[in-house]
Amino acid sequence: MNAWIVIVAAGLGSYLFRLSMIMLAGRVTTPAYLERAAVFVAPAAFAALAAAGIATACMHLGATQAAAPLAAVAVAVIAVLRTGSSYAAIVAGLPTLWITAALLPS
Amino acid sequence: MVSLSANRSVLAAGARAMMPWLAGIVPFGLAIGFSAAQADIPTLAGWLTGPLIFAGSAQAAAIGMLDAGAAPAVVIAAALIINIRLIFYSAAMARYWRSTPWWWRLVAAYLLIDPSFAVGLDGYGRLDRDRAHAYYLGGAALLWVSWLAAIGAGATAGAVLPAWLHLEFVMPLFLIGEAVPKLARPAQRRAIFAAAAVALLALSAPLQLGIALAIAAGIVAGLTARPDAPARIARPVRRPTEACR
Repeated sequence: MNAWIVIVAAGLGSYLFRLSMIMLAGRVTTPAYLERAAVFVAPAAFAALAAAGIATACMHLGATQAAAPLAAVAVAVIAVLRTGSSYAAIVAGLPTLWITAALLPS
Repeated sequence: MVSLSANRSVLAAGARAMMPWLAGIVPFGLAIGFSAAQADIPTLAGWLTGPLIFAGSAQAAAIGMLDAGAAPAVVIAAALIINIRLIFYSAAMARYWRSTPWWWRLVAAYLLIDPSFAVGLDGYGRLDRDRAHAYYLGGAALLWVSWLAAIGAGATAGAVLPAWLHLEFVMPLFLIGEAVPKLARPAQRRAIFAAAAVALLALSAPLQLGIALAIAAGIVAGLTARPDAPARIARPVRRPTEACR
């Protein structure tokens, strides 16, 4: 029940953001510090969601199996740095996860 | 005036301009679909983030935080913090849509998100106003259909594929892939490390406040750093693979 309300409210708020300046055109200006902050929202959100997602999954897996996602993350980071492609994280990371998870004792 | 029927070929040109963005959007949509299928919320509710929120990273945050059992107000706040940039896109488009009918503004604003903003700005820079409207709509409509289809495909596949595939890791790995190239810019690097550190430290924070706190900490860390050279403010990153955040 809560999930539906949250999604509708977040959607409605996002729509109001989209409409805001179009409907207020010329009457207000966006503050400069908000424009500077906007640059950091995506990297901060991506890092926070990825770190929390991996850590939560590791805790569910238990001590030995938790090494598998950590290995996958390490391989993913190296793969992106070496290839320069964002896709490399999934292409290299997911198979690493499958292999290490199969090798580790559960 | 917004006359779309007279501008079919421009509609198609806008859709073609959106094509390169789809390479980044479709994997992100699939990843969101997978996480919606794995999350502890109705899969339909997860899919509905597509048409309702229509912004990838806010959708990912909403699904992830709802799955973790975060308090409703915290989830809504986090999604809206992530989407604040839409106000800047709105401000940038306002001058082009000033004399358009209200129905056009309602529809065009609904479709406004990083890729449609980029394709749209390009059109308004090159074409006369009337044709640029059609160009924007062509690109944005293709984006909308592709986005919802990708999430739907991911949610459907995520529900039937075996557990050993660990599809719950597709989303974090996708986000890592998007974040790592940003490490090259010092202020962005600070934002990334601060956000990740706070997310880990605040993992057991009450109400799952951790992710919202971590995003705020990352933004503050970035703002207090020395600014990265040429600031590209309120514009989406040009690289088409960085899509639909």
